[in-house]
Amino acid sequence: MPSQHILHEFDNAIGALRADTLLMASLARQNLEHAMKALLERDIDLSRSVIADDTDVDDLELKIDQKGMDILVRFHPMATDLRLVISSMKMAYNLERISDHAVNIAKRAKKICKAMPLEEVSLSEPLYTLADGLLRDSITAYSDSNGELGESLKARDKELDRLHKQVVATLSGRLEDSNGRSENLLHLIFVVRSIERIGDLSVNIGEDTVYLDEARSIRHTQRQKDPQPE
Amino acid sequence: MENQTTYPAIEVHEVDFSYGKSLAINNVTMNIARNEVTAFIGPSGCGKSTLLRCFNRMNDFIPGAKVTKGEILINGVEIHDKEVDGVELRRRVGMVFQKSNPFPRSIYENVAYGPRILGEKNKGVLDGIVEKALRGAALWDEVKDRLNESAYGLSGGQQQRLCIARTTAVDPSIILMDEPCSALDPIATARVEELINELKRNYTIVIVTHNLQQALRVSDMTAFFYLGDLIEYDQTRKIFSNPSVPQTEQYITGRFG
Repeated sequence: MPSQHILHEFDNAIGALRADTLLMASLARQNLEHAMKALLERDIDLSRSVIADDTDVDDLELKIDQKGMDILVRFHPMATDLRLVISSMKMAYNLERISDHAVNIAKRAKKICKAMPLEEVSLSEPLYTLADGLLRDSITAYSDSNGELGESLKARDKELDRLHKQVVATLSGRLEDSNGRSENLLHLIFVVRSIERIGDLSVNIGEDTVYLDEARSIRHTQRQKDPQPE
Repeated sequence: MENQTTYPAIEVHEVDFSYGKSLAINNVTMNIARNEVTAFIGPSGCGKSTLLRCFNRMNDFIPGAKVTKGEILINGVEIHDKEVDGVELRRRVGMVFQKSNPFPRSIYENVAYGPRILGEKNKGVLDGIVEKALRGAALWDEVKDRLNESAYGLSGGQQQRLCIARTTAVDPSIILMDEPCSALDPIATARVEELINELKRNYTIVIVTHNLQQALRVSDMTAFFYLGDLIEYDQTRKIFSNPSVPQTEQYITGRFG
């Protein structure tokens, strides 16, 4: 952030918005970590705590929206300040969805844990490592106003997409000869789908940090470059 | 004042302006496009009103105040040339002030005054000019039944729109506005801002304002001045979303000024 505003209340409001957004980011990431731990270590109690902790993330989203709107109304922010408010509100929306996906994973984990151990759950681990790396770096990009880091996430997400397709193909193949494990394999397909979506949502956050840092929109740029089929 | 479509409405080339020994504008160069609204912003004493008043030589009336370097062209003509008549210049480049200043006469006479001193005597023609100017200033419907009443009976916002009608009645090409809404309530301000959006179809408008949201709402281009220097001049959207100069960013985000 540049130097302080003449109006200290403005500094306080911007600082509080930023702090809440970073708190929400750390909680959403923690929920994802716990959901995956619950899945991989067959911990039903941890699954339950992820579902319960999502309320805190939801509450923070509402709080960030309210604080952002208050700043817009009270201080009429411009330039970097305006971009920070907008980016924070959009980031809160993406984080809320990320935490929802963590809840989805936790719910599926609960069901998977109630059945016989499923060796294929380990296939989700490399996906989680990639998705968590994207989420971590998207948070760093926001916190440091680092548009370059934010912009780099899209390319890295392609690797996650590739791996996701590969794992889904493997799991789908095993469905045919599942010996009563088909329900759990389907749960796992939804788990890896959630992990893949978390990668996409992290990319969204990265794109918003490019706007935050450089006032440049890079959303949908690939779609604009690629001609649409007739 | 010919070739209105060939030149920018206003061209400022390396202008210095001084009040006696005190330099108020330092080497300013800018072109102001036709039929656009250009906002001048900056902290008090930055030179924005001084430059605005240069455009119709209002500063000529201040002893010791003058352009000491550079040139200002309106529609391609240097306004300090000997052939340029100051009165005619001020007819072509009208001005609306911070505080509305109607004459102590009727609403009708306030608008008809300019055309009348320019030689128009035909009552029918004057009636037409008054109606057109008042309609253009979005005031006609409010005053058409009391044109002969004193202008002082109007509200502050109506008086300011009357002053705008008075300015347009003499058919200027440029309207200068020096904080035209600073004494108005939010509703009256909104009416004047709406009027500015309408007026730019036919006029080039330069507005000095301390209200940054107003500059954002009404202007196409914005110039930021500081201590007599033109710091940044660009599209309004660019200035307020991603200014190029850190000083501009510091000012518009409320970090200095």
